[in-house]
Amino acid sequence: MTTLIRLEILRTFRNRRYVLFTIAYPALMYFFFIHAYSADKLAGGLPVKTYFMVSMATFGAVGAVLTGSAQRISLERKSGWVRQLRLTALPGRAYTVGKIAAAAVTTLPAILVVFAVGASQGVSLTAGQWVGLVAALWLGSFVFAALGVALGYAAAPDSVQSIVMIAYMAMALFGGTWFPVSGSLESFARFNPVYLYNRLATFTQPGHSLDTVAVAGLAAFLAVFVAAAAALYRRDTRQA
Amino acid sequence: MDTGEVAAFRGVGKSYGRVRAVDGLDLVLRPGETVALLGPNGAGKSSSLDLLLGLREPDRGSVTLFGGRPRAAIEAGRVGAMLQSGGLMTDVKVRELVRLACEVHPRGRSVAEVLEDAGVTELAERRVDKLSGGQEQRVRFALAIAGANDLIVLDEPTTGMDVSVRQSFWASMRAQADAGRTVLFATHYLEEADSIADRVLVLHRGRLIADGSSAEIKARAGARRITFELHEADGPFDEAPLRRLPGVQGLEVAARVPGVRTVRIRTADADAAVAAVYRAGLYPRGLEVTGLGLEQAFLTITGEQDAAESTESTESTENAENVLERAR
Repeated sequence: MTTLIRLEILRTFRNRRYVLFTIAYPALMYFFFIHAYSADKLAGGLPVKTYFMVSMATFGAVGAVLTGSAQRISLERKSGWVRQLRLTALPGRAYTVGKIAAAAVTTLPAILVVFAVGASQGVSLTAGQWVGLVAALWLGSFVFAALGVALGYAAAPDSVQSIVMIAYMAMALFGGTWFPVSGSLESFARFNPVYLYNRLATFTQPGHSLDTVAVAGLAAFLAVFVAAAAALYRRDTRQA
Repeated sequence: MDTGEVAAFRGVGKSYGRVRAVDGLDLVLRPGETVALLGPNGAGKSSSLDLLLGLREPDRGSVTLFGGRPRAAIEAGRVGAMLQSGGLMTDVKVRELVRLACEVHPRGRSVAEVLEDAGVTELAERRVDKLSGGQEQRVRFALAIAGANDLIVLDEPTTGMDVSVRQSFWASMRAQADAGRTVLFATHYLEEADSIADRVLVLHRGRLIADGSSAEIKARAGARRITFELHEADGPFDEAPLRRLPGVQGLEVAARVPGVRTVRIRTADADAAVAAVYRAGLYPRGLEVTGLGLEQAFLTITGEQDAAESTESTESTENAENVLERAR
């Protein structure tokens, strides 16, 4: 199984679209945002540079996971690679585990690159906050990895790209990725996993600890996505 | 613990909605056999292979591999398979993919050996997504022989290969058979079945309608065809003596040109039939005796089956022709 996981990771990094879309693009957007807003302003209670550093890291991480797993699973179901793997001694779950593992590894560079740019632009956090933030965002990305797997088993290859993009952009738009949500938008945003994901960064504000409501919400989303992915996976297996 | 049976279908049925893909299939494969699975499109070949490999569960009956569940045989590394719709992983090199197959196989072989046997050594550093259709097929074959399997299952393996590649492919496959492996392959190239398999199965509408050596199947279909013309100038035409010829299994008389009848006879004993034609006082012109290929034998047998099933609908014009031939 480790061989499969290693190969899944390797091929993801080899894919130029992944590198461009999930690493370079969010870092560029980050530059754009911090220069569009004046530096001394606050966004969602955080300095602009910190806020967008987090939101661009989550943007890249969610993108890496959704496009990586959903599209590939959908395509590989169609192409017959999934069937071919079922003819090996690998356990049935190896394929999905490999996808999630590859997703988990590939979100890290998406987070770290934006963080590095943020640090170079003057975001200052304590060492503990940096580590905590990376850990929180990395762990949070598993929620979207599960969603990616579910979408990959739910959608056909010709529609999966549009479904992923619509879901991704809608969640980002109303989840505070490009601008902080407030007022009535915010009450809807509580049901948006990207919003909850971005909220994981609030502990870096003075006088705040980890947003346990966001953590609980993300855990609930994780449970739902995992259950959906498992059910869809079983359906797919029955259809061979 | 070898039960002397590689694979067994016992009363197996599988339906998709109203379509009976596999209908009461009974079949045992023995060690060392090279078996061809023939059948027109939709005959149930791929469905049968899916059941054999445990990719689908039968509605009725049981399918066993090496006396146990198909999945158990795969986990024990006794089966290698190349599917018709077997996609490959993209963004990886051929060598990396073959290494994966060798490493996950419980009885994996060395990567270099597998690349060599499948004839893809020179493709090893190429990206999988940059291969041609025929090259992809050979990589799929490499995955099927990545371990020391006892059974190799191939679903239409030479589709997309050109003639020379196809020949080298069959050479590598024969090497697998010579190493004592049981090989089961589905094909619609009948000459492949004829020259490679020592046992031929004919599947039609989900049922096994013939099972034997290629020679036996040809004999069953009437081994030879006699063709000649009868001209009215040589005497009045009468069908009755033609019907009395020895060993006749099919008789077809066509009158395409006025005054000329083209007679086509399918017979198990061509020598006796030709002698009897002359003894009957007929004057055949342009007489030809040809061996029936497996393809014609196959069409004849599937045609007979259709006729026996009171011909609800025939699948192809060739089949229809054979039904008519039979009905006369």
